[in-house]
Amino acid sequence: MGAKWQLKDHEAERRLFVRRLMLAGIFVVLLFAALIAKLVNLQIYQYEYFSARSDGNRLHSQYVPPARGLIFDSTGKLLADNQPIFNLTVVREQVEDMDKLLAELDKLIRLTEDDIEQFKRRLQRNRVPFASIPLRYVLEEDEKSKIAVNSHLLPGIAIEPQFVRQYPLEALTAHSVGYVSEINRDELDRLDELQRENYGGTNHIGKSGIERTYEELLHGTVGYELVEKNNRGQVMRRLDRTDPVAGKNLTLHMNSELQIAANEALGDYRGAVVAIDPATGGILAMVSKPGFNPNLFVTGISSADYSVLVNDRVNTPLFDRTTNPYPPGSTVKPFIGLAGLHHEFVDYDFAIQDPGYFRLPGVSYRWGDWTLRTPIGGGHGHTDLQRAIFQSCDTFFYDLGVRMGIDTMHDFMAQFGFGDNFALDIGFARTGVLPSREWKRTSRGEPWYPGDTVNSSIGQGYMWATPLQLATATAILANNGEVVEPRMLKAINGVPYEPEIVNPRPNVVVEDPDYWRYIQESMTMVVHRPYSSTFRDNGTAYEAIAQKDRNMPYLLGGKSGSAQVVSIDQSILSSADIEVSELNKDHALFVAFAPALHETIPPRIAVAVFVENGGSGGSVAGPIAKAVTDAYLLDILKLDFDGDDEPEESRALLSQAND
Amino acid sequence: MISQDFVRQSGGFQRSQNRVGNTPSPLHIDLPLLVGVLLLCGFGLFVLNSASDGDQALLRRQATGMAVGLVVMFAVAQFSVHFYRSWSPTMYTGGIAILILVLFIGVETNGARSWLDLPGLPSFQPSELMKFVVPMLVAWYLASRPLPPRFKHLFWSAVMILVPSGLIVVQNDTGTAIMVAMSGIFVVLLAGIRWRIVISGFIALLLASPAWYIFLAQEHQKNRILTFFDPYRDPTGAGYNIIQSQIAIGSGGVYGKGYGNGAQSHLDFIPESNTDFILAVLAEEFGLLGVLFLICLYMFVLVRGFFIAWAARDMYSRLLAGSITLTFFFYVFVNMAMVSGLLPVIGLPLPLISRGGTAIVTLFIGFGLLMSIHTHPRSRVA
Repeated sequence: MGAKWQLKDHEAERRLFVRRLMLAGIFVVLLFAALIAKLVNLQIYQYEYFSARSDGNRLHSQYVPPARGLIFDSTGKLLADNQPIFNLTVVREQVEDMDKLLAELDKLIRLTEDDIEQFKRRLQRNRVPFASIPLRYVLEEDEKSKIAVNSHLLPGIAIEPQFVRQYPLEALTAHSVGYVSEINRDELDRLDELQRENYGGTNHIGKSGIERTYEELLHGTVGYELVEKNNRGQVMRRLDRTDPVAGKNLTLHMNSELQIAANEALGDYRGAVVAIDPATGGILAMVSKPGFNPNLFVTGISSADYSVLVNDRVNTPLFDRTTNPYPPGSTVKPFIGLAGLHHEFVDYDFAIQDPGYFRLPGVSYRWGDWTLRTPIGGGHGHTDLQRAIFQSCDTFFYDLGVRMGIDTMHDFMAQFGFGDNFALDIGFARTGVLPSREWKRTSRGEPWYPGDTVNSSIGQGYMWATPLQLATATAILANNGEVVEPRMLKAINGVPYEPEIVNPRPNVVVEDPDYWRYIQESMTMVVHRPYSSTFRDNGTAYEAIAQKDRNMPYLLGGKSGSAQVVSIDQSILSSADIEVSELNKDHALFVAFAPALHETIPPRIAVAVFVENGGSGGSVAGPIAKAVTDAYLLDILKLDFDGDDEPEESRALLSQAND
Repeated sequence: MISQDFVRQSGGFQRSQNRVGNTPSPLHIDLPLLVGVLLLCGFGLFVLNSASDGDQALLRRQATGMAVGLVVMFAVAQFSVHFYRSWSPTMYTGGIAILILVLFIGVETNGARSWLDLPGLPSFQPSELMKFVVPMLVAWYLASRPLPPRFKHLFWSAVMILVPSGLIVVQNDTGTAIMVAMSGIFVVLLAGIRWRIVISGFIALLLASPAWYIFLAQEHQKNRILTFFDPYRDPTGAGYNIIQSQIAIGSGGVYGKGYGNGAQSHLDFIPESNTDFILAVLAEEFGLLGVLFLICLYMFVLVRGFFIAWAARDMYSRLLAGSITLTFFFYVFVNMAMVSGLLPVIGLPLPLISRGGTAIVTLFIGFGLLMSIHTHPRSRVA
């Protein structure tokens, strides 16, 4: 021990220690220097970058979706409303384990496989980061509270209030007003850069009908909100806000009372009713039956519900019967008759001897009159144009059509909107077919045969027209040729809407304006000309309309029609639980306008009724048209048709017929 | 109090005997060190106030911890360093005994079975105390042997260091074990261990580290290493802390966003903002200048610690003072380097700034020892 102590050189050891201590001091300084260098790098050289990252962390620009414009009928009743609902939403970025979260949620509330599938589809869509994505629409009160209580277990989950579309008339406006539904990928892609920005906060877009046509007006302009969010995505502060601009409220010409009446008038039939105000072209009613509940689509229709709609191939509820074409049948006869007068192929005195059939010169085939199929036999005998209309004599029109030629017929009828879509804001309406030589050559690559003209003369063959077109043409006829373009929109935000029409369609002008009266009178006879001792002297719809309601305060001008069912898909027949004979029945049609031939009151409504497999136009479709005009003129407009005001002429005409 | 009397009686003689200012004070307080520590405490509370969003209860706890620490520091300073020297082996033996005891009756917190919860005493971590007991023993052992230490002495020093460290590793508290080992290693380094041994030890560590990584490292440790090299390999998981911390520091810039305006911390983007990552809060709100200010405060304390070590008059005091000072620096540097991305994430608090009671008291024991070394007169026997 002692030796060791002796060996210790205290001064040398101290120097050694001090050297080491100095070295340690140098290390300390060097390490601090390295640390400061790192800080300088972070805080000076990379300041811009990290500053931006920090702002990116906390600042989020949120879209504030605008309120969608409301849709009113012409009397101010709501056709499309916005209703508050509560949605369950998910911010993807805040969810650690999506499957676990969904499983956790499933314990709390009912989540169908459909919900989850639709949610996953929404996740696929490339949306803004930190956007909340709907998982379930329309949470019930108890579900809301269950989620609120367990919110700490459900990171990224939120309950967000939202206004969604609600259609009070449900199926009645499914096709005309249409519906909104979730924007899909394709629709997003179709939007340009600016529009896509505008839809940043919007989940829904108009898919059909007015909702689609006027999407731009209804949508409004998106607002913005700059918010500061914390690590858990909770909004801590609102820093800036640009308010959204609500979409515009639209008022339609549609009258919901008439819409309901038309729907009721159709009863259990499948079919369509289109009613137009001849003065403005405004669509007063537009019913396609059966419809579907558009509200189902707003919050995402379940695939089960959807497949029911799609697979119903008899009722085809998704199919809009008002804007799809059918053979118009005899409803075109007044127009062809008018063409005959105008082009002087017939005059008031012209008449044929109807044997009940028609034969082209040199052709043995006989085109039969409809009367051939009646038990009492065919033929109308001595038939002038008026009789040919109110008795719907096919033979007369076969002859007239063939003499006139298809191209003359085409050019004249085109003025009424056949083969064209006159509607201003029903872009999705089909145009049907108004055949001509040119049309057949270009679309079929075949020459026109004289037999084609025969068929076209009674609205069969190649001729196809939509109920909307028939109503339009009837309105023009009722207007004495003044063309009106059908339209849905009446006012925007209460201000009457007058669209600028660049190339106004010319009015229909005929050689002698009296022709209008003549044709309208003929159509009035269709409804009001009673039976007499003369063979086949009644109007085709007399029995079903005027005879049933002898106190009709106004005259109804109309024309019945029926169209053969072209062909039925065998698969429909086999799948349908409906008698085959039912589906083979003719489609029944009726066009009408009222009041007809009134001295002071011009026609206020033009109607086209289409009844699928309805059979007889006069007896099935006619009363439906009459119910619609009754509802409009008597119940809605409450017009006073004082007997004294009725024109002498027409009364005389009818009494003459009664003789 | 005997020693105090002695100082008073022979003050003039003592002064002339010492080359540099061994400043005996009646209260055994080293004023510069006290000022430095108090400044750090005040600044720490100030930063913590913002980091904790003004959590008064938390601040009171922290302040209480500091007050207790100050009292402990004064108490520790009252005993002469010779007292600690002579009791070093006893304290070491007792420490080892308690560490073993903890293995059996210890309480587990955060995965480490390192707490002792004895009735009538506040619960504490015996391993914390080993941060002083180990350097004390190693200093005691080496100071009485010729320096630079011979290989035999180094071997025994290594045993003295590794036994408690190993026990603490068994408690599953690797961080503290490393600190305890470092406090002992600093003594050996300061005692003049030959460079070739230091260098070969360092190379050995380097060579052993891949083996450690492959065979011994736990999953979270591997993750920390990988994350250190590329934080963005898992930006929302393992890399999240360091990424957010760097964003906070970087976005603070030179002048900072202002007190209480640190968006990263107040919007909870910085994890552990009260504890390990409090430097990020400071750097975000006060910028580079704020961090430099803090480094200056630390430097002040460190310089004083170095001075005390330099001025100490016996080898035991020198080694102990040097080790305490370097351990303190080690704490500071490792935390700052980890938060700024210079080192992998190791769970170490920032001394006197981070929240945490026990750790503060441990630090104050160290300051108390430094004061004791500096304010007690040379032992008459030494």
